[in-house]
Amino acid sequence: MSSLFRGEEMQLCQIYFKSEVAYSCVSQLGEMGIVQFKDLNENVNAFQRKFVNEVRRCEEIERKLRYIEKEAVKEEVELDEADQTCDAPKPKDMITLEAKIDQLEHDLVEVNTNKDALRKNYLELIELKHILVKATQFFEEHNQSELEDTMSKTVMSMEGPLVIDSIVAPSMRLGFLAGIMNRDKVSSFELMLWRFCRGNVFLKTADLTELVEDVTTNTLQAKTVFIIFFQGEQLKNKCKKICDGFKATIYPCPETLKERREMLNGVSMRLDELKTVLDQSLNLRRSILVNAAQSIKTWFAQVHKMKAIYHTLNMFSHDQKSIIAECWAPKSEINRIREILDLETKKIDMNFQTIVHFITSKEAPPTFNRVDKFTSGFQNIVNAYGVPSYREINPTPFYAITFPFLFGVMFGDAGHGLLMLLAAGYLIKKENYLKKAIKGNEIFELFFGGRYIMFLMAVFSIYAGFLYNDFFSKSTNIFGSKWKVTLGKDFPFEDIQQFTLNPDPYANETYKMYSGTPYPFGIDPVWQLATNKITFTNGLKMKFSVIIGIMQMVFGLVIGLKNHLFFRRKISILFEFIPQIIFISLIFVYLCLMIFIKWIKYAGTDDKLTGACAPNILLELINMFFLKDGTVTVVDGEKKYDECKRLYPGQHHIQMVFVIVAVLCVPVMLFTKPLLKLREHNKRTKYGSRFRGHVNPLSVNGHSSDEDDKHDKAERMGHTSNSVINLEDDAELENEEHFEFGEVFVEQTIHTIEYFLGCVSHTASYLRLWALSLAHAELSEVLWTMLFKMGLNMAPPVGAFVMFFIFSAWGVITIGILCVMEGLSAFLHALRLHWVEFQSKFYKGEGYEFMPFSFEKILNEAELAE
Amino acid sequence: MFLDVLFNIDNGYLEGLVRGFKSGILKNQDYINLVQCETLEDLKLHLQTTDYGNFLANEPSPLTVSVIDDKIREKYVLEFQHLRNHAVKPLSKFLDYITYSYMIDNIVLLITGHLHQRSVQELLPKCHPLGMFEQMGAITVADTSASLYNAILIDTPLAPYFIDCISEHDLDELNIEIMRNTLYKAYIEDFYNFCKELGGPTGEVMCELLAFEADRRAFMITINSLGVDLPKDERSKLYPRCGKLYPDGLNQLSKAEEYDQVKMIAESYADYRPLFENVGTNPGDKTIEDKFFEQEVKMNLNAFMRQFGFGVFYSFLKLKEQENRNIIWIAECVAQKHRTRIDNYIPIM
Repeated sequence: MSSLFRGEEMQLCQIYFKSEVAYSCVSQLGEMGIVQFKDLNENVNAFQRKFVNEVRRCEEIERKLRYIEKEAVKEEVELDEADQTCDAPKPKDMITLEAKIDQLEHDLVEVNTNKDALRKNYLELIELKHILVKATQFFEEHNQSELEDTMSKTVMSMEGPLVIDSIVAPSMRLGFLAGIMNRDKVSSFELMLWRFCRGNVFLKTADLTELVEDVTTNTLQAKTVFIIFFQGEQLKNKCKKICDGFKATIYPCPETLKERREMLNGVSMRLDELKTVLDQSLNLRRSILVNAAQSIKTWFAQVHKMKAIYHTLNMFSHDQKSIIAECWAPKSEINRIREILDLETKKIDMNFQTIVHFITSKEAPPTFNRVDKFTSGFQNIVNAYGVPSYREINPTPFYAITFPFLFGVMFGDAGHGLLMLLAAGYLIKKENYLKKAIKGNEIFELFFGGRYIMFLMAVFSIYAGFLYNDFFSKSTNIFGSKWKVTLGKDFPFEDIQQFTLNPDPYANETYKMYSGTPYPFGIDPVWQLATNKITFTNGLKMKFSVIIGIMQMVFGLVIGLKNHLFFRRKISILFEFIPQIIFISLIFVYLCLMIFIKWIKYAGTDDKLTGACAPNILLELINMFFLKDGTVTVVDGEKKYDECKRLYPGQHHIQMVFVIVAVLCVPVMLFTKPLLKLREHNKRTKYGSRFRGHVNPLSVNGHSSDEDDKHDKAERMGHTSNSVINLEDDAELENEEHFEFGEVFVEQTIHTIEYFLGCVSHTASYLRLWALSLAHAELSEVLWTMLFKMGLNMAPPVGAFVMFFIFSAWGVITIGILCVMEGLSAFLHALRLHWVEFQSKFYKGEGYEFMPFSFEKILNEAELAE
Repeated sequence: MFLDVLFNIDNGYLEGLVRGFKSGILKNQDYINLVQCETLEDLKLHLQTTDYGNFLANEPSPLTVSVIDDKIREKYVLEFQHLRNHAVKPLSKFLDYITYSYMIDNIVLLITGHLHQRSVQELLPKCHPLGMFEQMGAITVADTSASLYNAILIDTPLAPYFIDCISEHDLDELNIEIMRNTLYKAYIEDFYNFCKELGGPTGEVMCELLAFEADRRAFMITINSLGVDLPKDERSKLYPRCGKLYPDGLNQLSKAEEYDQVKMIAESYADYRPLFENVGTNPGDKTIEDKFFEQEVKMNLNAFMRQFGFGVFYSFLKLKEQENRNIIWIAECVAQKHRTRIDNYIPIM
């Protein structure tokens, strides 16, 4: 239950397995996901570990599965979802699984080679068909009459100059080569041909209109059919070589039209036959893949689990017969772990036993906070700063309220909050669907991970928006304003520019403008009309920021106290916490008190105590530090008292005492702790030397009370015997020899300065609450008056059309700038206020996270990696 | 100097990338682990834990050295091509220059292969992917260097380098070797001048690297031609003239007739003297090539000390190549169970 407040108690265990049962035990632990194994073979290479061959076999299966999956995806077969609950297969089942997958892969490869051969044949025939068609077209174009004549004459008559040689020797026939090649290479091919054959060949090309599948790469490509005419064998060889170089395929093409026709017919027939055969083999392939698709994902999950188990086993140390593992586990789960292990062991052999044995270590235990989908977002924010030290109070539960609250204070607009609520609500409602849909989209995952934070932030900004009475920068008058102007029609409103409403509820009938009861929730809407609205809200928000900030800081100190009590750091309570709390109370809590006094005292009901003469709180604070009386002003060497400025009688004297006491806290915190530590250390070393001097069993007694104390302390921190944790105050237990007064003192100095100066600067830092909320309110107001109001002021019907566009602009800017950008900025500032101002009061954050061995996590990661 | 800051406008991203790639280069510890491997499967397992990641995951076993070689090369070529595709002038030109040397190698490979009656389809996959060009396949048609130039190389960026080796002689092995060296000489000199023109850190870093490369070639040409029937003036024509040896050293080298003379010449250069010390061919000794490689690695690593220059791109590729050679060396030793010389790799970091 309390594990969110304080990390769970952890125990370092040693588990002795019999070699036979280790596998299934680890498998069960993986399903549970509550132990973190330590690598006992850190110095051993990956390939020298015990189960490297098994890991390799798993990888081989994975490779085959990937191959099958790839083929299945290519075939567009629907893959069934993995059955995540399936256990990791037992080592003996691994062999059957291996064989099954092996067979499947083998079948698939065979079908594929078969299919590829057929397909190659098929594609070649298609290419040949194209060539024949194009060649026929080409020859027909030029030669319609002399079908059976020699080629030479035909071409001569058409392209005389090119084949001038053949005129000289008319008996010589022109040869030709026909082929097909990729279209993008044609121009350089042509150039090359021309260069090598010195212009003695004639190239005719025709582009294929449709894309053709390439024989080797199986991709669709634009191709061109070409015919080269040449004379003589030498040129033919050259041309062939060039074609070779350009990966052009040459097909035999008969010379006469008749032969070509016959060949074309033959090719078409063979194509038809091939098509049926090809279809058959494709069907076979598909049926294999459809079969496999049902279980591919499950197999994947199984193999991943198996591989993870072997990786884990590789981290253990091995004897002849037994295996020893070391792991961290939460104390509360140890019984469950024992049960599971026993059960698993007994399943295999009743005589075996698996022993869980507690061991102690100087190593700091990992921090384990159980989180759910709601708290994980907040825990992530905390961990981003630093994982809580072991057993330290975890700020997450406080974050869950203060974080959205501070955000709301800065982002206080009910309208914008409502938009955000809708967005967050959508993310939460659809979370199961979205979790899968957005996988891999980093930015969106960021928002999605913070959906519950966003939800709360939205709720709090609506709340703050109603407090500020801001709804898209407009005030709402839900309960009816408690102020009314009772001056009547004859009052000369035109003559005066400003009129101050009378806040006295007991004034006579004409001047009774305030009903006496305040507006039930938030700021009275009448302020929307006031010219000094900003001045008013500024004062209010500024003071609230300071009050909220000081509350949070004091709260942080109290948590610090809880931590000190828990770890029994007596010195730290007396000489750190007490001076700190005194200091902050006397100066800053007192400051809050002054604010309240001012609010009550200068309520405007008393004629003498008006807002005009009320003391400035900031000046009061400064005067307090200089031990000056704020009510006294010196004019011409004469002292003047201003009663109106006095908050309460005796103020000056009380303040003087406060400041002096507060300042005295500084040396107390600075010197006491290091000096006490020094004394303790000196005492210890004296003890130690005496102890070493006489090897006398009696002298141990003197030590043992100390030891008991330590023991007790360690016990509280979740440890048996004298194990020690690396926490500041316990450092002396561990590093007795390493005590260095200078170091301790410097550290304490830094700590002291940080705290006392921090109190001032952090209080000022909380003013960002006001600054951001002011900026937000002003920005949305400006957007309203500059944009929306402009549209509303226009006369119909033009105004209606203009309004259409203005509204969209207003909407885009409202969402883009005011909600998203301002939201991010407010988030950032809330983050800073928590990390720096709040956590510096108590939080160490020097722990490391508990990373249990869990199949669920491993499978998720594997899925992400895909 | 101040204007170096402007370097990042065009090249900052790529420089960052290349430095990132460089940090993935295997460290000494990795080599120590690799050397302990018993089989290629072990090697694969260890490489998985490095920057290479799952690059062999989809290869069916049994693995062969040539598969590993191809995959390693594929990886750095991909990285280089990524850089090249995002580069703008003058970096793109610079990167192109780097690829020219692979083009020369490929041309030589194709012609030699053709002399040995290999078919083009068999040779093409063996060519280095960075040196591919369109007309490559047709190289085998040419039988003299003149026709090689006129028909094929005229369209490639190598054309200007080729002018010196046009002749009507048939291509035989010696001619090819001379052609390769002449091409290289012209190429290095051109690249050197290009870098010098670029100036700044690029010029400083690259000129030193290229000068070293030029001198190495000069030494190697001399040593390799000691027993060969090659006229002295022919030999001196092959020396790149942009290194530190130019002009005196080259002059002397061209006259050298024995290995000891070469060593004498190196004595007078502080940079090269240590490279010729403790060199031998017995097992355990380092060869002169290894010494030069070691020196090259050191210089390439130093190139990463400078910012705002293109030197890192060149050095990255060279280091990756060295890494490739190292892994393949180890892999070969592992595959052939020939472990005595397995330590003869050149550690990079």
